[in-house]
Amino acid sequence: MRKTGTADRKKKKWDGIRIRLWIFGGLALLLVLAAFFAEAICPYDPYAQDLSMALRAPDMLHPFGTDRFGRDMLSRVIAGARTSIFSALALVAVITVTGTVLGVICGYFGGLADAVMMRISDICLAFPGLVAAMGIAAVLGGGIQNAVIALAVVSWPKYARLARSQTLAVREEPYVAAARLAGSGPGQIIIRHILPNIAGNILVTAMLDVGTMMMEIAALSFLGLGAQTPTAEWGSMMSDGRSMLQTYPWVVLTPGLAIFVSVAVFNLLGDTLRDYLDPRRLHKRNEM
Amino acid sequence: MKKRVFSILLALGLAVTALAGCGGEQEAQDPAAGQVQETSGEKKTFVFGDTTFNAENGIADINPHNNSGGWACIRYGVGETLFRFTDSMELEPWLAKGYERVDDLTWVITLQDGVTFTSGRAMDGEAVKECLEALVDTHVRAAGDLHIAGITAQDQTVTIKTQVPVPALLNFLADPYACIVDMQAGVTQEGIVSGTGPYRAVSLVPDTSLGLVKNEDYWNGNPKIDEITVRTISDGDTLTMALQSGEIDAAYGMPYASYPLFENDGYTISGCATSRVFFGAMNFESEITSDPAVRKAIAMGIDKEGFVETLLGGNGYPAVGAFPDNFSFGGDAVSAQTYDPEGAKQVLEDAGWVDTDGDGVREKDGTSLVLRWLTYPSRQELPLLAEAAQSSLGEIGFQVEVNCTADHNSIRVDSGAWDIYVSAMVTAPTGDPEYFFNYHCLDASSNNDGHYHSDRLEELAAQMAQTFDPEQRAQLAIQMQQTLLDDNAYVFCSHLRMSMISRAGVTGLTAHPCDYYEITVDLDIA
Repeated sequence: MRKTGTADRKKKKWDGIRIRLWIFGGLALLLVLAAFFAEAICPYDPYAQDLSMALRAPDMLHPFGTDRFGRDMLSRVIAGARTSIFSALALVAVITVTGTVLGVICGYFGGLADAVMMRISDICLAFPGLVAAMGIAAVLGGGIQNAVIALAVVSWPKYARLARSQTLAVREEPYVAAARLAGSGPGQIIIRHILPNIAGNILVTAMLDVGTMMMEIAALSFLGLGAQTPTAEWGSMMSDGRSMLQTYPWVVLTPGLAIFVSVAVFNLLGDTLRDYLDPRRLHKRNEM
Repeated sequence: MKKRVFSILLALGLAVTALAGCGGEQEAQDPAAGQVQETSGEKKTFVFGDTTFNAENGIADINPHNNSGGWACIRYGVGETLFRFTDSMELEPWLAKGYERVDDLTWVITLQDGVTFTSGRAMDGEAVKECLEALVDTHVRAAGDLHIAGITAQDQTVTIKTQVPVPALLNFLADPYACIVDMQAGVTQEGIVSGTGPYRAVSLVPDTSLGLVKNEDYWNGNPKIDEITVRTISDGDTLTMALQSGEIDAAYGMPYASYPLFENDGYTISGCATSRVFFGAMNFESEITSDPAVRKAIAMGIDKEGFVETLLGGNGYPAVGAFPDNFSFGGDAVSAQTYDPEGAKQVLEDAGWVDTDGDGVREKDGTSLVLRWLTYPSRQELPLLAEAAQSSLGEIGFQVEVNCTADHNSIRVDSGAWDIYVSAMVTAPTGDPEYFFNYHCLDASSNNDGHYHSDRLEELAAQMAQTFDPEQRAQLAIQMQQTLLDDNAYVFCSHLRMSMISRAGVTGLTAHPCDYYEITVDLDIA
């Protein structure tokens, strides 16, 4: 009896969700590594112009073709991965941390600070996200950093709201009351008991947001508010090539494909992570 | 069961809407097919797409006295001027029959007989006088160009007296702002005027469209199209697709990247060189560009041929001076630095600009060779030029920081904010060279943002202001350009090739070097 039980559990360990998690996690890691080592793996200098090689169709020398300045598209797409993926990850990290910290503080302590903070977040949420980000980016001026700042300003309230509501629920749990009776201070309770219990949800939201943020950064760059020329960035590369869609399609399609693939990978990873951390599934496994 | 029925219905609904979508597309093509029928029938129509017919370009309506409205007035065949330019940019009478310069301040112009406005009024001296008086009352640039002291009219002659000698008066009278319109009929609320051209405006919605009908009483031939619609299509990609789908019959302002789509038997491309030049003005207040060696290196470090041939796809001409080939004082009449990266490096080396820290950027006395390049995006060539120069000047040891902004007009007046200002300007809008120097290069110029000063240039300019003979003016223009080029105060990169693309079957739509005449009495569609 017991033997079959462990065998069962071992099998369960490699169920579909786990496999998916490994696959998508691996793909995402691959993307991040490619972005990190962009300079080393670019076959050409992504910024070196050679007008005599302008607008070459994809061939053996240039698998993704060249743009109108004769720059190798493959190298630019790889270099663009660094800009696009790293700024999306940085953005998500910033808004997750700020949002969560503020949300937990508001949820745990309540009071005036809570009221003020939540009204501010209400104001931020009242604007349509990308439109507000466009406004902020326009005021700050072009540049990928400013695009990240603009998107951070409009995106943090989501995490503050989420962390706050979770904290409110967890705060009433008996084990928190017990910890308090045992003499733990607020800092200890938040770090030991509240954060670990709300982290799963926030992590899933953050993973699902990486793809969205990547799209929004690309959107701002496409509109000329994000990365500035000659920076290789997928959104601005698509915008530069927009008028060549019919004549030299690879100039638009290759960065487009890069956006599609990486957004898809991060979204699938987020989905899988959500399934993996789903309490119902964890319960089911524990029951077995 | 219910659920299944519902989902089948839903799927059916989706399928129907999807098919309806296809149907819509087919219908959308039908009007084009209808147009072909109409053109072969009794009524000919023509649709023209233009990227520049909008308030952003100062062309909100077709009133020549309002900002740049004259461009629309003359381009779309509504208004005509007293004089016009031939294909070689020489003046010839148009609504005028002839002229006489009585003295340095007095001009007598004789008008054509039998010309009527579309309002029905005959065009006589009185009408021209009213129009020109209204022009200088409301149009600041016209008033500054013409310096009119008084106009008298008698039958078919007008006598214009100027306050100071204006040698280029007749040229200014060929500017679009000088379209002769009927001031008694006035300007409608939409901005429609009555001109003497082959077509009469009947409707106008700013930034959207202009409706024209044939002027049955046209004085100079027989217009062939019954109805013309000019559509404002400001986005280049939309314009491309509108011409591809047959929504429009001809287009002005097509992006260069779209040209390959139309280089076939289905379309006609008519293009010619214009005096619009893409050029950089050096800032003489700047630490970097006040150094003659730096200016020389910049002039030697820009690959004009590569820019024109590759980035513009051949839709332009490398420039030497301010004026293109088709002017007697343009093209090779002057000489400038040619592209020579190795020579440019040597020039910088000799002047003490050396890369001591090995970062690829030269330094001198602790100052890095950082070139702040100010330009703007609304002319599609300018960002391309900036990015190309960023790379080619980078190779000779510059670090080029491009500031490409729609806000350039407020930045260029702050001489501490840039080193080179690259813009696109029409250098001889009226066929005469004086305008460019007066506007950009003299101490008194309104647009001398880099504060360039040359004693010799001032002297030559003063001489030109007193010279009436076109030959002598051309000679002076050559000497003046050469002065600018010897100082490397400006670097002229390329001239615009202005093109119009039309569907096969459209005839009589020809690009003109002054960019004023588009829809004329010759326009026809098969």
